[in-house]
Amino acid sequence: MVFWITAAALTFGVCLVLLAPLARGRTDAADSRVHEIEVYKDQLLEIERDMARGLITSGEAELARAEIGRKIIRLSDARDAGVVGGKPRAVGSWIGAIAILSLPLVSWGLYAATGSPGYPGQPLQARLQSDPTQASVDELIARAEAHLAANPDDARGWDVLAPIYMRLGRYGDAATAFASASRLDEPTAARLAGEGEALAASAGGQITADALERFERALALSPDDVRSRYFVALAADQAGNGEQARQMWQDMRADLPQESPWHGVIVAAIENEGTDASPGAEAEAIETMVAGLAARLEANANDVDGWQQLIRSYMVLERPQDAQAALDRARAAFGPGSPEAGHLVAYGLSLGLEVEQ
Amino acid sequence: MIVEIGHFALVLAFALSLVLSVAPLVGARIGDARLMGIAEPASISILALIALSFAALTVAYVQSDFSVANVWENSHSAKPMLYKITGVWGNHEGSMLLWILILAAFAALVAIFGRNLPATLRANVLAVQGMIAAAFLLFVLASSNPFERINPPPIEGQDLNPILQDIGLAIHPPLLYLGYVGFSICFSFAVAALIEGRIDAAWARWVRPWTLAAWAALTGGIAMGSYWAYYELGWGGYWFWDPVENASFLPWLSGTALLHSAIVMEKRSALKIWTVLLAILTFSLSLLGTFLVRSGVLTSVHAFATDPTRGVFILMILIAFIGGSLALFAFRASTLTAGGVFHPISREGGLVLNNLFLTTAAATVLVGTLWPLLVEAVSGEKISVGAPFFNMTFGPLIVPLLLAVPFGPLLAWKRGDLLAVSQRLFAAFGVSLAIALATFFIVDRVSALAAFGIAVAFWLVFGAITDLALKSGVGKVSAPVALRRFIGLPRSVFGTALAHAGLGLTTLGIVAVSALEVERIAVMQPGDAMDVAGYELRFDGIFPFEGPNYTEEQGRFTYSDRSGRERGEIVSAKRFYPARQMPTTEAGIASRGFSQLYVALGDRAPDGGIVVRAWWKPQVLFIWIGCVAMMLGGAISLLDRRLRVGAPAARRATPARPAVEPAE
Amino acid sequence: MAITRKQKRLAVIGGAFGFLALATTLTFVALGSKASYFYTPADVAEKGVAAGERIRLGGLVATGSIARDGGTDVSFAVTDRIETVTVSYSGILPDLFREEQGVIAEGAFDASGHFVADTVLARHDENYMPREVADSMKARGIWQDGE
Repeated sequence: MVFWITAAALTFGVCLVLLAPLARGRTDAADSRVHEIEVYKDQLLEIERDMARGLITSGEAELARAEIGRKIIRLSDARDAGVVGGKPRAVGSWIGAIAILSLPLVSWGLYAATGSPGYPGQPLQARLQSDPTQASVDELIARAEAHLAANPDDARGWDVLAPIYMRLGRYGDAATAFASASRLDEPTAARLAGEGEALAASAGGQITADALERFERALALSPDDVRSRYFVALAADQAGNGEQARQMWQDMRADLPQESPWHGVIVAAIENEGTDASPGAEAEAIETMVAGLAARLEANANDVDGWQQLIRSYMVLERPQDAQAALDRARAAFGPGSPEAGHLVAYGLSLGLEVEQ
Repeated sequence: MIVEIGHFALVLAFALSLVLSVAPLVGARIGDARLMGIAEPASISILALIALSFAALTVAYVQSDFSVANVWENSHSAKPMLYKITGVWGNHEGSMLLWILILAAFAALVAIFGRNLPATLRANVLAVQGMIAAAFLLFVLASSNPFERINPPPIEGQDLNPILQDIGLAIHPPLLYLGYVGFSICFSFAVAALIEGRIDAAWARWVRPWTLAAWAALTGGIAMGSYWAYYELGWGGYWFWDPVENASFLPWLSGTALLHSAIVMEKRSALKIWTVLLAILTFSLSLLGTFLVRSGVLTSVHAFATDPTRGVFILMILIAFIGGSLALFAFRASTLTAGGVFHPISREGGLVLNNLFLTTAAATVLVGTLWPLLVEAVSGEKISVGAPFFNMTFGPLIVPLLLAVPFGPLLAWKRGDLLAVSQRLFAAFGVSLAIALATFFIVDRVSALAAFGIAVAFWLVFGAITDLALKSGVGKVSAPVALRRFIGLPRSVFGTALAHAGLGLTTLGIVAVSALEVERIAVMQPGDAMDVAGYELRFDGIFPFEGPNYTEEQGRFTYSDRSGRERGEIVSAKRFYPARQMPTTEAGIASRGFSQLYVALGDRAPDGGIVVRAWWKPQVLFIWIGCVAMMLGGAISLLDRRLRVGAPAARRATPARPAVEPAE
Repeated sequence: MAITRKQKRLAVIGGAFGFLALATTLTFVALGSKASYFYTPADVAEKGVAAGERIRLGGLVATGSIARDGGTDVSFAVTDRIETVTVSYSGILPDLFREEQGVIAEGAFDASGHFVADTVLARHDENYMPREVADSMKARGIWQDGE
């Protein structure tokens, strides 16, 4: 309501402002030639000043004066000085009326087509202070982030947040969170291994040199950190040292207690390594990751980056039908025509997917 | 709510600018003072509405209102407040809004300070401004609306491109747009003169201050952009002949020509048609620059998210305004009467020479900038025209002009005496030559070409000093009289001398850096040291640092001079912005006098060392000091009372006060 | 008197045109000799590039191809997934230079057929990819987006 009143007041005010000169009727406007003569007179004065200062000689001044004098005479001779102004004419009134009428028509018409009149502003501060039970998961995370921004030395806070990021597929943030916890408190094996895993995940399952360095540091701190051992072996596998990787996994299996959840993973890794010359474990890791991502997006579709990641992953896995289906689901979730859908469609097109409009 | 009011104000401003572009024009045509009277309140109201709109967008940025798509795309809640505000114009949509805000501000200034202009001229000028505003408002509303909303709003923004998170963003674009858009006033005056079919002495007096103001702002904007690129990109370069840089340099070149031809027109009523054409071309080049930057048709080092549909829209605006005004020029230019005659060797002749060189140089830069487009359109081959081309063409064209500059202000109007002027400049010539020879023989590594460049630079500076000395009568009259005359010189004389000397200082900086720069690159371990032009740069190590929205690895260095005395610390860093997953390089710079020691970090070497690239940039600061001097020269000229001449109406109203003061 | 004025005017106009002609010649000579053409590795293989000719080589940085000598020299391979050209470069690489990212290397082939770059350009933000690279990759249907 306040918006409509303000908008109406603005429109009315502007119309009023334009009405003023129209209602004033006839106004005299000076003949432009008078202005010109004024300029020449000033130029004459300037010549005097320049001469007084010694900038020009009296001969030059005389010439210049004569030239300006001729211009003034020529102007005074021109009799056709058409004084503008004159009586108000009907056609002028019509144009004025149309002009003022067009203001509300054009502005309200255009705004109706482009604006979102009923949509209030959403300042972040106010949103974060609203009732937490009403908040979405994203908002809750944002609150945790805001808390950490205010208390950046809270290493425990980062420890809590990092796995959440990991679960949400925000691997870059997860890596940063693990690194922050390490820096603020001390680098433990768990934090380093977590950071390494996040780095690897954000590289699409590839154990990068950075990630490997984290795992190796973790192992230096705690030689039997399972996660680090597993990934160090995977790194060896990816580097083409299948035999070495296999050996490491077999050693791990021997060391692991029977009830460890890692057994299955390691057995699978060893089997894949043996059967498959192509990047087996890696592909499996990616498949698992993709499946997790797809499940997560099924639960919470409001995540453009997630969809984008999923579509790309399917393309990397050479499953274009799945990528196509994911794109269609994402479009349906955001609603065709929304900016997010537009973004994803553009993204899909750039990957060679088809989009029926 | 404030967001939607901003949106509505923008739409209303568009409606109003449509009225402004039609009603006063018709009023001037049929001689209806009421319709012409609409121009003033309409111009001022448009400014008020766009200012409201801009304020609304700024509030959305400050409050991190991510329901506004533009804020979501370019801001982040953790961003420092300064960058939340500058982020408003750190993106395409917001910067267009700033562009239009400045356009509206200029039109309102003409409306307010132009009350003593001939009524029809004023109505026509404001109507043309209204047309430009209408075209760009439509562009913003149709293809780049900063007020588009997202529902439900995301919880965090995508952050501003880290390269733009710098104080440079607060200064560079606003100054640049003041320049670009300032030339729109000259354009509007030119088109208005063509519509009326007459052009008088008052016209030139009116156009000159606007040209000066726009030119001074553009000079500052380009200089600031150059310095920003120099310290932010970490390549140590200050000018890349990049298409986007050329896009700002082109209107500067033709604007400089316009500045000078307007003097001839004002003083001698000559070069009328040419001045009108230059006014049109200068703003056309500003528009072309806008098109090149926004459409992404040319590869550029400048980051701006581009979109082909926007490019097509701006191209249409470009064609409409450039084509329309040039067609009008072709039809109406013959109605403008020719003015005074002059001898080739005269002040006018000198200014014509200046125009010839500047416009030719501008044409060369334009060809070089657009050539890749043309080749691709014709043959499909992709080429790039870079610094080697511009060095080969622009250099030879601009050096003769630099040599001629000191002669100009000393020549008399109508008919000058070149021999006498040469004699007067003999001292300046001798001193410059002596300095150049001295550097050539004393300083190592100075080539003959560099010595020549140094001579040119000092020639410009001493030429400007000679001008001031002669005009205050040094040597002819007693010292106290000369001092009194010096103080009483018109401000424009000081402005000219300062701007010409500034050109010399910039030349000096460019020559010194090109000829004497020292570059070292090495892998350094903590404790290592390297020699950079006599300074010992010691690497102390890498230290982590946490910024508000980035993490940083700071490489700390200490440097000591030849005597081994420690002179200070240099911090050079690699930053990482997690929101955009983007690293940036923060160069470490230490100034020694006008020279700088510049350190950039490269990649980590596997053995724990780090690649360090360091430059010694001798006299580099003169490049920008010279630009600031040019800008100040423009500002001082603006204060000349000659440019503030009143016309009858205003003079009666406020007899004591000069009426036209756009600069104040 | 009138004749000399006319002659002077002619001389001035003639001088101006002479100057313009000179400037035009200079511009086009410079365009001929200083403009550098854009090649992808496949173009290089197809058309061949003379040693010493300055070109802009564009493509993606091949995975695993970045090799540093421990000092400031670095070599990497530019690929368009059809052909690959190895580039050597001395200096600091751009911040956003990474594997699988678009890159433009400016330089020339030396006598032994090795590409030596003096300038390496990468994209400036995550939305931006060198336009020539994007275009030619799209044309060959192998663009992976600048993600």
